[in-house]
Amino acid sequence: MAEKFLFIVLPYLSTAILLVGFLYRFWVWGRTPVPLRIVTTPAPATRVGVLWRLIGDALWFPSLFKGDKFLWAAGFAFHILLWLVLLRHLRYFLYPIPGWVEGIQTLGLYAGYLIPIPLALLFARRLVDEKVLYISIMGDFFSLLLLLSITLSGTLLGVFFRTYLVEVKAYGLSLIRFQPVIPPSHWLFGLHFLLVMVLFIYFPFSKLMHSGGLFWSPTRNQRGNFERRFVNPWDFPVAYNPQNLWPPEKYHQELAQTKEGKKE
Amino acid sequence: MKVPLPIPSIRIGASQQQRCHPCKEKDMVKIDLPKERAKDWKEAMLRKMAEVLDKYRSVRLFMDICVKCGACADKCQFFLGTGDPKNMPVARADLFRKVYKRYFTLGGKIWGRANEAEGLSESILQDWYTYFYQCSECRRCSVFCPYGIDTAEITMAAREVMAAAGIATKYVTEVVAKVYDTGNNLGIWPPAWKDNCAFLEEDLKDTEGLDLKFPVDQVGAEVLLVPPSADNFVNTNTMIGYAKMFHAAGISWTTSTYCNEGGNFGLFLDYANLKKVNNRVLEAARDLKVKKVYWGE
Repeated sequence: MAEKFLFIVLPYLSTAILLVGFLYRFWVWGRTPVPLRIVTTPAPATRVGVLWRLIGDALWFPSLFKGDKFLWAAGFAFHILLWLVLLRHLRYFLYPIPGWVEGIQTLGLYAGYLIPIPLALLFARRLVDEKVLYISIMGDFFSLLLLLSITLSGTLLGVFFRTYLVEVKAYGLSLIRFQPVIPPSHWLFGLHFLLVMVLFIYFPFSKLMHSGGLFWSPTRNQRGNFERRFVNPWDFPVAYNPQNLWPPEKYHQELAQTKEGKKE
Repeated sequence: MKVPLPIPSIRIGASQQQRCHPCKEKDMVKIDLPKERAKDWKEAMLRKMAEVLDKYRSVRLFMDICVKCGACADKCQFFLGTGDPKNMPVARADLFRKVYKRYFTLGGKIWGRANEAEGLSESILQDWYTYFYQCSECRRCSVFCPYGIDTAEITMAAREVMAAAGIATKYVTEVVAKVYDTGNNLGIWPPAWKDNCAFLEEDLKDTEGLDLKFPVDQVGAEVLLVPPSADNFVNTNTMIGYAKMFHAAGISWTTSTYCNEGGNFGLFLDYANLKKVNNRVLEAARDLKVKKVYWGE
């Protein structure tokens, strides 16, 4: 019963929470208007330029590079290794395995061995740097610990406590084909898989949404075409308060009198 | 050679006592804000907060996606100067985020402590009033943030929320009220502005023998000059410079007694006043039927 829930219901449930959560967040951000042009300058003037800048931001974090080299190195290493590991995992869900997934197999394997290192560095940084310790909350440590345990369990699974891969792949394929079967009983595989499910559920509620949020950030996705008029969608007319001593009406009167030569 | 600035170690509460003077009733009335802190200030602030979150994608997104990496922590001059940890941009934004989480997110509603959520209280309000007025909205932090999180947006939102409950500083509200009364931040009344211009004309004739005009409220001029008002008051050499430049270029120009200040303190208060102060330039330009506006500051 428990096995049925953990390996047959939970994967679909957590993936649904992840996807719906992502879409819900995107919907909330998307429906909220951007009233002012607040792009970080110097900004590209064209849409293509903006796209390139966003891709650069997402892949190698130039803003971070400018500010904090250690944080950049650890963050960049983690993200690039994560990409490799994720892409390598495609082999458990695809049949036949595409050539390029085969191609990054070795690279992805070593990436998996290395990925706990930047995570541990980032974790240590949170504890060592008093400024970062001050701003850290439980969620920050939880995300790092969760990722650390996922990567460590994955590495151990591949090196020391090996499972029967053919059956794991059969399970992966059964999930993709919506005909799930219960995988072979293996404690470490179960743990690894379960932690990933926890990550899926936690993801849309947490700061990990920075992955999708970057592309909605008005300071990064606006154009720097300042010669074009920018219209605020919820703009409203403003009026002066009668309490003011020099309201516009009085000024208009003065101006009219000066013009007609009645004054001075 | 570039010498890196020393990064101060954090000193909790270092600039807690440095607070702005509170606003006065006479100014708040003129700028269409509650004349004093509302009795139901919590509700008023939460109402405004919900409105702000629905009107500014920046605020909502920045609340949601900050990963607290600390890249901005040592980039704020207020932190570098004071060492107060609440002056780190991320910590400043956290003052807003705490309240956001408590009232507007699922995690904060059901398990506030783990999510560092906190309800509005007198002490939170004191922190808001202190630290959101220790931000100059320079946006330096946004340059270093990997997601472009702009603390100025959050500061502006927090000030707007506070202003809606009748909480603001004297420095800002007094200046904005002055703009609506006199047309400029310094409070120079139209007769004084005209007199200053006449004085400059005479002065220029006496000292340099130049016969230049400093036109005021001249309908049909080509250019409306909106200088910083101090140019007609203390930095008069700059004002003389404008006149010489316009003369040399052969452009007819004028200043306006309705709008003779380019600086906009509405930026430090709320959107309505920001817009009203800026709109004034447009109104003056239409009234004087000019073709162009030259806008200083």
